[in-house]
Amino acid sequence: MDDDRVERLLRGYELPQAPRALDLRVLEEAEGILALARARAAATGIARELANAFGFGYINYVIDLVTSTDAEYRVDLI
Amino acid sequence: MGGDGSDRRHVDRDRERSADVARPEVAAFTQLYRDYRTRLHQYALSLVRNREAAEDAVQDAFLGWVRRLAAGGHPAKSGPPRQAAPYLYASVRNRCLDRLRRRPEIALDQAHVELLAAPVGDEERIGLRHALNRLLLALPEEQREVVVLRTWHDMEFAAIAALQGVPVNTAIARYHYALARLREELAAHG
Repeated sequence: MDDDRVERLLRGYELPQAPRALDLRVLEEAEGILALARARAAATGIARELANAFGFGYINYVIDLVTSTDAEYRVDLI
Repeated sequence: MGGDGSDRRHVDRDRERSADVARPEVAAFTQLYRDYRTRLHQYALSLVRNREAAEDAVQDAFLGWVRRLAAGGHPAKSGPPRQAAPYLYASVRNRCLDRLRRRPEIALDQAHVELLAAPVGDEERIGLRHALNRLLLALPEEQREVVVLRTWHDMEFAAIAALQGVPVNTAIARYHYALARLREELAAHG
């Protein structure tokens, strides 16, 4: 038996299935994290619109200025 | 009985479809999970030789990726799968190595994990599966990792070397040492 034969032998095997309980745990928890992120993004959007509507748009500007990274700031300047 | 199961499957599929439309980030993550769960699970098993620890490592890696997306603000738009794979492999590896640092590796005779599944009807592979599984588990950890990633994960030696933090030639040498060892053991096994 040579190395090629060993390689072919190994490649002919399949992978064992991951347990179903793992699928449920990961997908449920991930869905919760993503739902929270979506709700947070929606709430932030509403707050920004309200601030703009009531004449406090400068607050959004200040928040963007403080929270934007250096890289984003440089791109804005260009 | 059969009707109940069928109805439930229809309901599940309908729920999945409506979730796909309403929450594209959930659908994208579910697809990513389905694409990589089997491979990452086998990879983790090969590293820690322990079912629970492997499952924990895979779970933590996927949830770490989700938290990364969630922190980006727009989970649906960020993080295409091309970037996900290197993150997931590195994350599973780090978690498994961390576990091995905290607890000693499980002895070979106590490692009841399967890294291989023989195709149905393939008598030769079915007959050799148990012996080959033991031989793989008995390989030195770094050689076992290269064999697993190269054989079942279609990973280039450069990518494996980057993951292990070694030169490419070292990864190639580890692969050939492992094959030679498997060849000798299989010959002895008859």
